[in-house]
Amino acid sequence: MKKAALFLYFISCTLFPAFAQNESSCDTLQANRFVMRSTLYGIGYTNILDTYLSPAEYTGAEARIVHERMRMTRMMKGKVSTQSLLQANIAYTENSSDTGNELSGLINWSYGLHYHFQINDHLKILAGGLGELNGGFIYNTRNSNNPAQAKAYINLSASGMLLYKFRIKNIPFTARYQINIPFAGLMFSPEYQQSYYEIFTLGNHSGIIQFTSLHNQPSLRQLLTLDIPIGTATLRMGYVGDIQQSRVNRIKCHTYSHAFMFGFVKNFYLIKQKDKLNDRSPY
Amino acid sequence: MKPSFISQSFTGVPEKSATKPIHRNRIYRSCPRTGIRWLAFLFILCILSSSCIREDEYNNDPAGNFEALWKIIDEQYCFLDYKAEKYGLDWNKVHERYRKLITADMTAKGLFEVLGDMLAELRDGHVNLYATFDVAHYWAWHEDYPQNFSDSIQRIYLGTDYKIASSLKYKVLDDNIGYVYCESFENGIGNGNLSEMLQELATCNGLIIDVRNNTGGKLTASTKLAERFTNEKVLVGYICHKTGKGHSDFSSPQAVYLEPSNGVRWQKNVVVLTNRSSYSATNDFVNSMNQLPNVTLIGDWTGGGSGLPFSSELPNGWSVRFSASPMFDPQMNHLEFGIEPDIQVNMTSEDIKKGKDSIIERARKYLNDLYTEGN
Repeated sequence: MKKAALFLYFISCTLFPAFAQNESSCDTLQANRFVMRSTLYGIGYTNILDTYLSPAEYTGAEARIVHERMRMTRMMKGKVSTQSLLQANIAYTENSSDTGNELSGLINWSYGLHYHFQINDHLKILAGGLGELNGGFIYNTRNSNNPAQAKAYINLSASGMLLYKFRIKNIPFTARYQINIPFAGLMFSPEYQQSYYEIFTLGNHSGIIQFTSLHNQPSLRQLLTLDIPIGTATLRMGYVGDIQQSRVNRIKCHTYSHAFMFGFVKNFYLIKQKDKLNDRSPY
Repeated sequence: MKPSFISQSFTGVPEKSATKPIHRNRIYRSCPRTGIRWLAFLFILCILSSSCIREDEYNNDPAGNFEALWKIIDEQYCFLDYKAEKYGLDWNKVHERYRKLITADMTAKGLFEVLGDMLAELRDGHVNLYATFDVAHYWAWHEDYPQNFSDSIQRIYLGTDYKIASSLKYKVLDDNIGYVYCESFENGIGNGNLSEMLQELATCNGLIIDVRNNTGGKLTASTKLAERFTNEKVLVGYICHKTGKGHSDFSSPQAVYLEPSNGVRWQKNVVVLTNRSSYSATNDFVNSMNQLPNVTLIGDWTGGGSGLPFSSELPNGWSVRFSASPMFDPQMNHLEFGIEPDIQVNMTSEDIKKGKDSIIERARKYLNDLYTEGN
């Protein structure tokens, strides 16, 4: 019963952060007003397979944007932070014989909580979970009645993060590694050779939503970043490894993306502060 | 003075201004093992997630491309069982026979010819192999039969004063029979096009829809036209799709209904003219019309082509198209080899010499007789 109450509190704080905020409105300066926001832009390499469209792997360049927002909460005595991660990527790929092309795109929004474990003054481990929404497409430029595949899936993911703060010549740096692994979800997929005409025009929706887990969707997203202070700004450089795989309705899919990212981080307090906050970021 | 990194808090609370000091030493430093355990758990998940999902790849050589094509058809083509029953197609024996013709040093054009011949064993106009220099095709479904259509004779009937609505050409013939020629379903047909055309022809005694030499296009376009000829929802057939790699792995048949259009609907008698080149989406249109009470099919068998085609590709980049989802009539009969007309009529050489289209003439007589009987 206690566990259920704790779970409900956890969910309610996740879904209704404004409510949680109101409870603390009597405090003027608090950790949960500390917000980190970053936007990273990058380019990379991607490898796409979708056997609904073709048995061949298509490879090519991709462009990616990652927008992130982290904020401490008052949950569990201020040891829990929220993270909102929005990623979008678009890629143009070709087959190995250079006779066909595929255009693909995916938008992913993840939102979740991390519990902070302080290992020492430099190292912190964050552990938690995320809820993920994904939507996208792959378009094969020369197919007939199977020209495109829609991507739509939701996941619950386990998430972990390592934060390491260090100084070189008294300049503070922050290195971070994050990994998200989906362990349960629902995915849209046509059946083995079901046409979109049959699904959407004739209305045969049977079997197009499938449960996914590690056995049929072994995927992970990882993000490695280094924050470098430059004057009053903080430059963030990083690498995104996005491994999305599925084997649903006998259709094999994978997208292996590796992108190098750069952008800027903004740390701010919801009540304006004169102090520099970059050094004091909990993230 | 710059703040010391070592003394900084990870909580995010500026130490000077914080009103509620957080007991970081007691709270945070009490459970690092839990964090490490969580990381270990993630590591295990990571290992479980590290299996790659890939497709078997064949070498890009003649043997590899042959095997890849044979496998695509073996696992994805939807009529292997039906054609085994219909004319004894044995896809394994096809492999044995054609594999012997593959050599390591054969040219791309030589390979293309062998693969094209192998695909022709399927006797399916929806099966093609596309290379940069050629498209392998099987057209015996209309080439081996009388054409039963002449565009120069049709021009005599249409004259120069016919009207055009999207891909439809139409006019009123001398005996007050409406004539509509639908040459393709490749482009969509607008509701406005259909309503205007049917209003224009509303005073006719009957209507001829000529879909000869219409080799298909979009199923949605053919359905939109057929919807103008029913006042109620009618079961017109079923569709299946393959659910696995086995030759008999099919989904339960999905009923396909024809719903009445909200626009102008034709209430009088209709004749649909067909020939062996009425194929694919046109075959589907003819099947739908064949389920309606006021519709009669006149002409030759349709060409068939009832498998919704999908595409795939070979290691060398050649594209292959094949039938993936079979469609049936309401009695679950296959339509792959065509639909029999209600009244079989071939164009005669005597009529052709006179500039007459035997099939149009038969349809006009049929509709006029029905009109006379009705009055």
